[in-house]
Amino acid sequence: MIWDILRLSLRNIRHRGLRSWLTVIGILIGTAAVVALISVGQGLQRAIALQVERIVGYNTILVTARGLNLGQRIRLDIEAIRAIPGVRSAIAVRTETAYVEGPGGKGFLAVLGYDPPMEEFVAEMDLTVASGRPLAGPGEVLLGSRTARVLGAGVGDAVTIEGKSFTVVGILGAQRAGGFATGGLSLTDLLVISLPELRQLFRGPELVHYAVVRLADRADMALVRERIRDHLRAVGERNASLTDFEDLTRNIQSVIRGVQAFLAGIAGIALLVGGVGVMNTMYTAVLERTREIGVLKAIGAKDSHVLFLFLFESGFMGLAGGALGLLSGFGVAWVATLIVSRLFEAQGAFTPALTAGLVLGSLFFAFVVGAVSGLFPAVRAAKLPPVEALRYE
Amino acid sequence: MSTALVELQGVTKIYRLGEVEVPALRGVDLAVSPGDFLALMGPSGSGKSTLLHVLGLLDRPTAGRVLWEGRDVTRLNGGRLAELRGRRIGFVFQMFNLVPNLTALENVELPLVFLGVPGRERRRRAQEVLTRLGLGDRLRHRPNQLSGGQQQRVALARALVTDPALLIADEPTGNLDTTTGKEILGLFTQLNEQGRTIVLATHDPEAAAVAKARLRLRDGQIVGVER
Ligand SMILES: Nc1ncnc2c1ncn2[C@@H]1O[C@H](COP(=O)(O)OP(=O)(O)OP(=O)(O)O)[C@@H](O)[C@H]1O
Ligand SMILES: [Mg+2]
Repeated sequence: MIWDILRLSLRNIRHRGLRSWLTVIGILIGTAAVVALISVGQGLQRAIALQVERIVGYNTILVTARGLNLGQRIRLDIEAIRAIPGVRSAIAVRTETAYVEGPGGKGFLAVLGYDPPMEEFVAEMDLTVASGRPLAGPGEVLLGSRTARVLGAGVGDAVTIEGKSFTVVGILGAQRAGGFATGGLSLTDLLVISLPELRQLFRGPELVHYAVVRLADRADMALVRERIRDHLRAVGERNASLTDFEDLTRNIQSVIRGVQAFLAGIAGIALLVGGVGVMNTMYTAVLERTREIGVLKAIGAKDSHVLFLFLFESGFMGLAGGALGLLSGFGVAWVATLIVSRLFEAQGAFTPALTAGLVLGSLFFAFVVGAVSGLFPAVRAAKLPPVEALRYE
Repeated sequence: MSTALVELQGVTKIYRLGEVEVPALRGVDLAVSPGDFLALMGPSGSGKSTLLHVLGLLDRPTAGRVLWEGRDVTRLNGGRLAELRGRRIGFVFQMFNLVPNLTALENVELPLVFLGVPGRERRRRAQEVLTRLGLGDRLRHRPNQLSGGQQQRVALARALVTDPALLIADEPTGNLDTTTGKEILGLFTQLNEQGRTIVLATHDPEAAAVAKARLRLRDGQIVGVER
């Protein structure tokens, strides 16, 4: 019998035609907004987790100034950290300001110490050369594109850094970002020499932007962290903090989730407006069909039959809006991420996520919004005294 | 004790419009026995529809008792009353009152839906009644594709499909021309001859003439009975 009532409900929805569609569209828009935001947000979380993993890696500890501040420098000795048991490899990004003279200019410029494992560690540190070749031996220097212009130097020229002569072997390509890897400095404004040579030029306490420590396969994360803290204490560095992959993703994810919840909340308001649309349609339907309700009751319909007849109508419109909203929301999310990926040339695959939870959740939620919005009209219909309904003109 | 199908004892119905009380029925005693064919007559506003509604368990009296087959149903809850209506009573209205977006067949099936009769049997019974009333070739028509007389016959089929003990009709010919009205009245006479108990309200003396007994109502009271 419940199926027959359901069929009647569907018939009534079809019968209302355009009005049903408009009501469904109200729910559709709300659902689409929620779905688009959540699937983009989840896709973003996934992409960032991947990115963080690429930069940092699971078994990796990041040593930075407090608050993950890469612009502020900390004191540490990377060799001492490499010597800690359980550490497989470690790099420190270190730059110093040096007095540099070239064929066509001179000045105080930032010099980055290059350590071969860097590129493995720091995906963003793209040291691809535009002309010439990469560093291969001592006495060689790479120039950032702008630095090359400042110094008036090209491949094959000599530049002096703090009085020591280096040969320019390559010019770096135009850099995208690079700020993260070098603590706020753009690679275009740098000179790059090998780390051992930077060490020789600048002796004494080493100030670095940050260090990345990778653990051996079976190393104990907690133990290694403790040892690194010991080292930092030993060199008198009190402003450093350690972050591992999990800390990092947890931080980033919680920020994203917060923003996402806020946006989804706003989108949810659109869904509520859709619900008000359903309520309006259903109240109108109850008014228009008052006589019919009276007839149904006269021929044996119970209050519950009438209740379900109207509840199914609103619930089904909610469900239809939810299903269509799910599709269009995901479509919108796809287009949006495509555009965003193009605009920011984001690395890695950034696609919206469509999880089973999102699919079922949005359908269920849209159905509930429809049914709940239809509840008051349906209750009113069910409670109508049959005689008054029959007399209604 | 009583052999009456439905019996009203001192039934009063008062409508309250704000401060004003409108008495629609004032102490009506009436027994409808199986096989009866009663016509209610009286001027507009005399309480005919109200009396039919109380007889048909659609409305509750303000005072007095309603006995259905000897059982007091005055205080029965709404669900039970709905079930009794569905099983034992059929209604026909002046305005036909078919559900507009259902076909003739589906309209006639409707009371059986609420009784939980399975689809196959439902269709068989609905089709049978419609055919008996001469609408075998109009099963898939919607109300707006049928003439007034045909619509009223569908409504009559809907009232009869549950094989009710009591058929109640409120001015069933009020919206029909004379010829079509006569056809419908003929059907009522036939039904009564087959043993169906009928109570109808009408302004039309011709309609009242086909009944076995006529009750005259005025100001909510029965002022005359003519057998
Ligand atoms: N819901 C209501 N509220 C207030 N008064 C009502 C209501 N229903 C009926 N009445 C009043 O009750 C009285 C009887 O009405 P009823 O409909 O039973 O008369 P009737 O004999 O069927 O009239 P008609 O021949 O015009 O159909 C009338 O005075 C009417 O105004
Ligand atoms: Mg009337």
